Amino acid sequence: MTLQVKNLHIEYPDKLLFTNVNFELGINEIVSVETQVLDGGTSLLRGVGGFLSGVGGQSMLDGMNLLECSAADRAMRVGYVYEDQGLVSLYSVYRNIVLPLQFHTELDQQEIHQRLLTICHDLNLDESVFGLHPHDINDVQTRLVNIARALIIEPKLLLIDELEGGMSEEYLHATITTLRERQKATPMVILITTASEFVMESSDRVYKIENNDLTIRKQGKQDR
Amino acid sequence: MSEPPEHGKHRTNPLNFIGVLGQKSQDITRYALDIIGLISVALRASRHLKNKQRRAIFRSLFVRQLYNTGVKALYINGMIAAFIGALMMSRLFEYIPRQVLAEQYGNLFVVVIFRELGPLISGLILISRSATAVTFEIGYLRLRREFQVLNGLGINPVFLFLLPVFFAFPISLLLMFLYFDFICLLSAYVVIWMSDPNIQFLTFLGNILSQITLNEVAINAVKAILGGMVIGVISIHFGARASDSFEDISEAISNSTTSQLMAFFLINIVLSLLAYTQ
Repeated sequence: MTLQVKNLHIEYPDKLLFTNVNFELGINEIVSVETQVLDGGTSLLRGVGGFLSGVGGQSMLDGMNLLECSAADRAMRVGYVYEDQGLVSLYSVYRNIVLPLQFHTELDQQEIHQRLLTICHDLNLDESVFGLHPHDINDVQTRLVNIARALIIEPKLLLIDELEGGMSEEYLHATITTLRERQKATPMVILITTASEFVMESSDRVYKIENNDLTIRKQGKQDR
Repeated sequence: MSEPPEHGKHRTNPLNFIGVLGQKSQDITRYALDIIGLISVALRASRHLKNKQRRAIFRSLFVRQLYNTGVKALYINGMIAAFIGALMMSRLFEYIPRQVLAEQYGNLFVVVIFRELGPLISGLILISRSATAVTFEIGYLRLRREFQVLNGLGINPVFLFLLPVFFAFPISLLLMFLYFDFICLLSAYVVIWMSDPNIQFLTFLGNILSQITLNEVAINAVKAILGGMVIGVISIHFGARASDSFEDISEAISNSTTSQLMAFFLINIVLSLLAYTQ
C-alpha cells in the first residue's frame, strides 16, 4: 500500500502554494511535514487527500487517483483530522464518530458500536464524553474524537493537520503509539503536518515546506 | 476644483433608473432561481432515504426538527388562538344580532379563522419562532466550516442540514393550523357558553364542521405544504450565505425573515384569491 504524489500543483487565485510536489509514502509509514503559520500545510494535506478542487497532478493511493475519485470512494479510504473543530455540532461525540460508517456502510449497529469502543479505548477516550456535544469538550478531546472518527473507517491514508494542538508530550506519545498499533491491525499510510519537534522525531521521515515545494529534512530508514 | 451643481439643474439620469430597475429584476430572478434550485436539490437528496442506515440518520434530525418546530409551537399557537377565538366571538356578540349569529357563526368561523387567520398567524409564528432559529443554525454551521467537514466525509450537507427542515416545516405548519383552529374553536365556544349555557359543544362543533368543504381542507393543506417548504428553504438559502462573521448571520436572519414574510403572504393571498373568488 503506497501513496504516490506526482506533480502536485496547488494555487489559489491570490496565492501560489505548491508548484510541482513529488513524494512517495510506503506502507505503514508515518511521515511529517514541518509547517509554520500560513505556509500551506493544511492546503497540502487537503490537496493530497483530494479535498480541494482545481489541484493539478496526481495523488495515487493504491492505484486510485484521489484527485479524480468520487467523494464517497474517498470517504472510505481517506481519514482526515482537522486542526481545530472538525465535528458536526448537531451531533453528540458518539454520533460524530460513527457517522461515516452509518452513512457509507451497511454494518449493523452492534458492529459499529464495537469498532467505536475499540478505537476509543485505544485512544483513551472515555465513554463519559460519548453523550456530550462538540461545544462541551476541550481541544484535546476534540482532536481525539476527530482521530477516532477518521480511524473508525479503517482508512488506507490518514491525514492529520497539526496533531499536537493542545496536547502534552505524554498525550502525543500515547497517540502516536496508538497510531503505530492501529497500523499493525489495519495497514495505512499516515501524513501529518506539525510544528512539534516531538512529532517530527517520532516520524519515519520529515519534509519541510520550502520554495513552494517539499524538501527532505529527516531521511527515512530505507532512504539512508 | 469642480463646480457645485447649479440650482434646478441637478437631474436624475433616466438611464440610471432603468439600470437600477434592470439590476433589481435580475437580482429577484436570480434569487427565485436559487430557491427553486434548492428545492430541486432537496428533492434529489431525498433519494438517500431509500437506504435504511441513511434513513435512520435522517429520522433523528427530522424528529428533532419536528419537535422543535411543530410540537413546541403548541403553547404560543394555542395562546394566540385562544385570545383570537374569544375576541372574535365577543365582538360578534356586540355587532351582530343574536338570531343572525346563531345561524351564521359556523360560516363566519370558517371564512375568518379556518380560511385566512389560522394559516396566516400560524405562518407568522413559524417564521418568527423557528425559521429564524434555522437560519441562525445554518449560518453558525457555515461559520464553523461544518459543510466542509461533511463534504470531506463524503456526506452531502443538503441531506443532513436541509432535508429535515424541508420535510419538518410543512408538517409542522399543518399541525399548527390544526392547533390554531381547534383552540380558537374551543375559546369561541367558552364565550358562547358563558352567554348561553344551553348550547351543546357537539352542536357547536357540528355546525362549524358542516361548513368546511373538502376544497377548503385541500387549500389549507397546500398553504401548509408550499408555505412551510418555501419558508424552510429560504432559511437555508440565507443561512448558507453566511461565511466569515456573526454579522453575516444577523444579516441573513434579517433578510430571510423579510423574504419569508413576503413569500408567505403572497402564497396565502394568491391561493385564497384563486380558491375562494367566485
